Amino acid sequence: SRLAEGTPRRSIQLSNIVEQRVFKDNEIISTPKRGRKTKSIEDADADYSPRSVQKTPTRTRRISATAKSTVTPIRGTAATSASAAPITPSQKLKKIRAGELSPSMQQRSGKPVDESRKSQLQLAREQLHVSVVPKSLPCREKEFENIYSFLEGKIQDQCGGCMYVSGVPGTGKTATVTGVIRTLQRLVSQDKLADFDFLEINGMRLTEPRQAYVQIYKQLTGKTVSWEHAHTLLEKRFTTPAPRRVTTVLLVDELDILCNRRQDVVYNLLDWPTKSAARLVVVTIANTMDLPERLLMGKVTSRLGLTRLTFQPYTHKQLQEIVTARLGGSEAFKGEAVQLVARKVAAVSGDARRALDICRRATEIADTARDKCVTMLHVQQALGEMIASAKVQAIKNCSRLEQIFLQAVAAEVTRTGVEESTFMGVYTQVETIAAFMGVSLPPPGRALRLCAKLGAERLIISEHSRNDLFQKILLNVSADDIHYALRVGEIAAAN
Amino acid sequence: APAAAPSPPRNKYQNARRVLNSAETQNLPGREAQLQELREYFTSHLESQSSGSLYVSGQPGTGKTACLSLLLRDPEFSKRLQRVYINCTSIASVGAVYKKLCAELQLKPAGRTERDHLEAIQRHLRTAKRMLLLVLDEIDQLCTTRQAVLYTIFEWPALPGSRILLVGIANSLDLTDRTLTRLNARCELKPRLMHFPSYTKQQIVEIFKSRLAEADVLDVFPPVTLQLLAAKVSAVSGDVRRALDIGRRVVEIAEQQKRDGEKEFNLKALELPDGQEKAEPRPDIMKPVQVTQVAAVLNKVYGASQNLEEDIEAAFPLQQKLMLCSLVLMLRNERNKDISMGRLHEVYRRVCAKRNILALDQAEFTGTVDLVETRGILRIMRKKEPRLSKVLLQWDEEEVHAALSDKQLIASILNDTACLSR
Repeated sequence: SRLAEGTPRRSIQLSNIVEQRVFKDNEIISTPKRGRKTKSIEDADADYSPRSVQKTPTRTRRISATAKSTVTPIRGTAATSASAAPITPSQKLKKIRAGELSPSMQQRSGKPVDESRKSQLQLAREQLHVSVVPKSLPCREKEFENIYSFLEGKIQDQCGGCMYVSGVPGTGKTATVTGVIRTLQRLVSQDKLADFDFLEINGMRLTEPRQAYVQIYKQLTGKTVSWEHAHTLLEKRFTTPAPRRVTTVLLVDELDILCNRRQDVVYNLLDWPTKSAARLVVVTIANTMDLPERLLMGKVTSRLGLTRLTFQPYTHKQLQEIVTARLGGSEAFKGEAVQLVARKVAAVSGDARRALDICRRATEIADTARDKCVTMLHVQQALGEMIASAKVQAIKNCSRLEQIFLQAVAAEVTRTGVEESTFMGVYTQVETIAAFMGVSLPPPGRALRLCAKLGAERLIISEHSRNDLFQKILLNVSADDIHYALRVGEIAAAN
Repeated sequence: APAAAPSPPRNKYQNARRVLNSAETQNLPGREAQLQELREYFTSHLESQSSGSLYVSGQPGTGKTACLSLLLRDPEFSKRLQRVYINCTSIASVGAVYKKLCAELQLKPAGRTERDHLEAIQRHLRTAKRMLLLVLDEIDQLCTTRQAVLYTIFEWPALPGSRILLVGIANSLDLTDRTLTRLNARCELKPRLMHFPSYTKQQIVEIFKSRLAEADVLDVFPPVTLQLLAAKVSAVSGDVRRALDIGRRVVEIAEQQKRDGEKEFNLKALELPDGQEKAEPRPDIMKPVQVTQVAAVLNKVYGASQNLEEDIEAAFPLQQKLMLCSLVLMLRNERNKDISMGRLHEVYRRVCAKRNILALDQAEFTGTVDLVETRGILRIMRKKEPRLSKVLLQWDEEEVHAALSDKQLIASILNDTACLSR
């Protein structure tokens, strides 16, 4: 049955990053792919036999023994000292699973550019990047206070609980929650609060809902095990009382991804806090406001509780405050430019990421124009690019016959009154329009090609052209757009 | 050094908050009859040494699991019964329940397949020295199309020589009638049914009283507030988790208000000239929670859409408002309630054009509709093409009006039927 199938056995992939780092300087060991390459190179060299060097266990042991004796602890990190001893791929995998090798990335060879040599626009652009999370989030003080008092109370009371945080994307949900956690951790380090563990999973980073157990266990111990094993161990941890257990705060981002049909993962994540031994506090984040009622089962909703918090979209004033706070005292932006961005974004979605992106784009435009300061015009251009409708341009750039075809589809829709028309009706309209304009008419075979091209551009929605005359055609742009594009074109042509 | 928890003196609010948690407890007021019935059932089967099955049903939060786990811990049964508790949400797949049971019973199956585990269990059932009490929580997770596993489990009592007491726990009242119809064919296999009714008002009051008495903070909640809270919860769901949640919220809010009050007091104290009555430590006055505070929390919890409106007022993006108004306009004036995204977009563009507002193009518009969907106002039935997706209004028109709280805009758009013409 479908339920019976678990996760694939090998849930961990060897990441390229680790492979490169560990084995780059060590030519003796090679991954299979690299082995093939070296072999082909070394084939000319008769004396060289890489296989015996690799595979003989005695040799390996000897090398590792010498490595142990010779490698001084100057290069102290785990990754480099491990690289000194040759390992087979399975040994490497074992080490990765046990968490003994930490994944590292290759360092850049050049040095990063000095801060002082950057221009004001460049600095502003870096400050405006979405990834730069400010120390204190402007306009989210109330929500911060709410989450803070909840978590602080739970940690002081040493009992478990759940909270559900919702809001549309880009309203600062995750940033606020992690900010609260950082504040609490600072309090712990000053001995003003009882110690607590912090775990974090994100539903989107899991290939499968049950991989959540693996991730949680990995953050607790550093080891990677199969999900079944991880689940058993977690259940043991959370159900058996331990006298020195500290509170565990678990942040679950993108909760709706973790909901499968059985909802067993969500159930377990929310059922553990109800055990008195667990001392688990779960904070769940999702976009949908009514997710518990819409998607979750009754018993899961009952466990989720009523402590909820909704993040409203930012208003234009708040967006303005956010952007000015990012810019600091920088003069790179005109005040009215920021206001225009804030107003435009707040009217559509209230998404702070979007406002920051548009501001960054505006600085780029100002940079290419060699201006020192971002003005309204730059912002207008950036808005035009980011909240753009390219469809009118696409229609204008169509070939003459394609334009006639689009006109014909629109005419057929007005004639019949239904949105869906057949190719036959459209072709009749094409005939009429072509006769009116005095253009020669393409044969239906070629008109099908036009239709397929427009369909691939998504200006219309069409079926496969195998049922030629009877295929259904839908307009994907509005009829007004077609008239507008063609009339403006005509006027331009007439002039 | 872990566990060096600096524990400041706790006030009564904090104690109440701690004791109102929704974790397991030892005494279960309001469930005496059910406990008694379960106990009698177990003892009668123990005395006659006959096997039997029981199906316990009830709404979430009515104390099913609490009762059973209380009995599982009971020393009265511990000598005469071998007890196993399995939560069916924590098994890997439906068939894996045998493996879990083997692990709980510490059996050594011959092989590693499901069948081997099943045979090991059945051998154990025939030859066991002690009677087995098997509690399967959330048993509806074991439902499949053929119900092979459920039937196998519920037929164990009829296994020759077996002495097993089987208890299944789930939410739906008629699970055994719906999915296990074949068991009705044989009277001895038919599970005995037991329903846990939702808590009544009086029971919830009792639960609160016993919890609060546990920490000696009964005076935090005056009887009137308890009555109000219990009446409201029992009228809606009778779910004790919900009741405890609300009780905790009330205490949290009371604490918050008290802290704010103290802050004010401190500020006032600062303003006083130095000499006078400065060093008077204010006694820790614990005001009991007010009826108004309870009512405010209840309104927030149960008047879900009402308090949505309050929040929305501040920040409802303009384009989303225009989209919703266009949708209401179409629903009012068109016979066809089947509204596609493309058609909605067309009307919306005309509405925008009338008001001299730059309309969004279709790609952006689809995103806007998505954002409104996260508020629960709409539902989108996805189709292959975004233009063909259907948009369904989930709220009442009145609710939408109240939520938008922009009467002028709505009124002007709703009069604009000219926008609808094709």
